[in-house]
Amino acid sequence: MFLGIDIGSSSSKAVILDENLNLLGKAVINTGTGTLGPEKAIEIALSKAGLSREAIKYSIVTGYGRITYAKADKQITEISCHAKGVAFMEPNARTVIDIGGQDVKVIRLDDGGRVENFVMNDKCAAGTGRFLEVMARILDCDIEMLASLDAESTKEIIISNTCTVFAESEVISQLSSGAKRENVAKGAHHAVAKRVAGLAHRIGIRPEVVMTGGVALNKGVVSALSQEIGQPISVVKNPQIVGALGAALFAAEMFKK
Amino acid sequence: MNSIEQMISNFEEQSKYPAKAVAKVMKETGKKAVGCFPYYTPEEIVYAAGMLPIGLWGGQTEIKSADKYLQSFCCSIMRANVEMGMKGTYDLLSAVIIPTYCDTLKCICENWKTAVPNIYLIPMVYPQNIRIEAGVTYMMAEFKRVQAELEKVSGRAITEKDLLDSIEVYETYRKTMQEFVSIVNQYPNTLNARTRHFIIKAAYFSDKKSYTAKVAELIAELKKLPAEKFDGLKVVITGILAEPAALLDSFVENNIAFAADDLAQESRQFRTCIGSGKTAVEKLARRMSDQSCSLLYDDKKTRGQLLIDLVKENNADGVVVSMMKFCDPEEFDYPIFKKELEAAKIPMLYLEIEQQMDAAEQIRTRIQSFAEMMDKH
Ligand code: SF4
Repeated sequence: MFLGIDIGSSSSKAVILDENLNLLGKAVINTGTGTLGPEKAIEIALSKAGLSREAIKYSIVTGYGRITYAKADKQITEISCHAKGVAFMEPNARTVIDIGGQDVKVIRLDDGGRVENFVMNDKCAAGTGRFLEVMARILDCDIEMLASLDAESTKEIIISNTCTVFAESEVISQLSSGAKRENVAKGAHHAVAKRVAGLAHRIGIRPEVVMTGGVALNKGVVSALSQEIGQPISVVKNPQIVGALGAALFAAEMFKK
Repeated sequence: MNSIEQMISNFEEQSKYPAKAVAKVMKETGKKAVGCFPYYTPEEIVYAAGMLPIGLWGGQTEIKSADKYLQSFCCSIMRANVEMGMKGTYDLLSAVIIPTYCDTLKCICENWKTAVPNIYLIPMVYPQNIRIEAGVTYMMAEFKRVQAELEKVSGRAITEKDLLDSIEVYETYRKTMQEFVSIVNQYPNTLNARTRHFIIKAAYFSDKKSYTAKVAELIAELKKLPAEKFDGLKVVITGILAEPAALLDSFVENNIAFAADDLAQESRQFRTCIGSGKTAVEKLARRMSDQSCSLLYDDKKTRGQLLIDLVKENNADGVVVSMMKFCDPEEFDYPIFKKELEAAKIPMLYLEIEQQMDAAEQIRTRIQSFAEMMDKH
C-alpha cells in the first residue's frame, strides 16, 4: 500500500493506493501545516481503507508543509505531484490550473503528461482561496455559498483592486452604496479569474485545461476562469486530493524502483 | 580544512562581512576607500588615485529610513544601499560614485546629497549611445571629470602612468576571473552555487591586486586536482545578482550548479577586456562601448543569443532567470530573450528575487520543481 500526503497552508490531504493503483482511502482535513491536520488526514484515510500504518510500504509528502514533515520516506514538490495526479486521471490534460488556499499554480504538461513548464503566484494572496474567504466574510456567507450567490447574479460588479486588503474596502463601499451581494460574488470570482488567467498566459495555455485544488469546487470561479481564458475547463473528480494522489502514485513508482 | 577549503572560507568571510573586510584592508594598505555603486563604475580611476574602490551591492538589512526616499516599488538593492548610507554603514568611505543607468539610480543621485550628506557624492552619467564615436568622446570627457573629482578626494594628481598601471591590475583581474568562471565546470562540487558567488563577490571588498593573486592561487590549487564527477543539473544564471545566500543554498540542496553566469554582479563586470586607444581614458571608454547588458542600450538585442551560446558552450541544461523585483531594465529585456530561449527549446526557470527575502519557501519549491521537472526529461 502507498501513501501520499499533501500538507497545504490551510488543509491536509491523504490518499492511499494499493499495488494496482486503486484508491483505497482518502481524506481532507481543513487544517494545514503546523497542526495535527496531517496526522488526522492519514488516520482517516487509513481507517477508510481498513488498514494500519504498518501496511504502508512507501510514502511521499508534498505541499507547502513537506519540508518540515519528517515521517514520510521522501518529499516531492506540489508541482510535480499535481501534474502526476492529473495525468493519471485526465491523460489528455495539457494545462493544469490549481488554486489553493494561499497559492496558485499553472502547470503545462507535455504529451507524455510530464511537467513542461510551470508558474506560481508570488507572496500575494490575490487570486487565491484566501481572497475568496475574505470576500465571503464581507458578504456574510460561507465560502461554499459564494457560487450559489453568483448563480443568482444579474451583472458583474467590477472589483478593480487586485490587492486583497484594498479589494475588501472597495467591496464594502460597493455594498454600502447599494450593490447586490450576488453581483459582488460574481465580481469576486472574476477578480480571481483575471488574476489567474494573467498567470496562465505567462506560460501559455494548451487544451485541455483541467482545474484542481479546493477552489475548483466553486462553479462560479470555474466559469469565470473559462470565460477569461476563452477555453472550456474541466474539473477533476475530488479536485482537492489531486496533489496527494500524485504523491501516492510517485510512492508506488519509487517503491518498485 | 585543506588549503582550498581554507581559501574559499576566507573569501566567504570577506563577502559575508564587508564592513569588517573593508576596514581591515584599509588598515593594511593605509588607503582611503571610495564606494562604487553598480554598474560599471570606473574602478580603475579610483585605484589609480591610490584608493580602494569598494562595491556597494545592497545587503541584508531591514529597510526603515530609506522609505523616506525610495518607495516600496524600488528595487531592493538600492533601498538597501540608501538605508545603509543613512545608517552610517558606509561612513568609512571618503566618497561614493553613483552612475545613473536607470530611473532608480537617477533618483538616488539626487537623494544622496540630503540623505547622506556626510559622504561626498560623485555622480556619473554614461551616454545612451555607447557604440557610436560621439558616445566614446562623451564618455572620455565624463571619465576625466570623475578623475578630477577623485583627485580632490585623494589629494593627489593622477598621472597617465597611474592610470595605465591601474588598467593593468584590472586587466589581470578580469583575465583571472574569466579563467575562474571557466573552470567552475570542472569542479562543480567545490565551486557550487554558493561558494562560486562568495569567491567572486569578495573582489568588491578587497584590494584588487592581492585579491587577484589569491584567486590565481586558488585556480592553481584546483588545477592540481582531477575534474570532479557531478550528476546534477548545470544551468546558466542571468540577472542583476543571485542573492541572498538562502537562494543559493536551495540550488546546492537540489544539486544544481551554475555552469556560467550573466549576472551584473559577476561576469558582466569582467567578461569584457580593455579596449584599444591612445590614452588610458580612451581605453576605458572603448571597453565600455564593447559591453553589452540589460543596462546599456543594445539595438541588436543580443542577450538571448548570448544566453543560448553560454548554454551550448557550457553544456548546460537550462537557464535560470534571477529577476530583481522592480528592476525595469531587466524586466524590459525578459520578454525578448524568453521568446528566443523558448524557440531554442532551452528550459527556463523564472525566479523573482528580493535581496532581503527571508521567506525563501516559495523560491525553494520552484527550484526543487525545476530540478524534478528536468530529472524526468
Ligand atoms: S538596474 Fe535594476 S536593480 Fe539596478 S538599480 Fe536600477 S532598478 Fe535597481
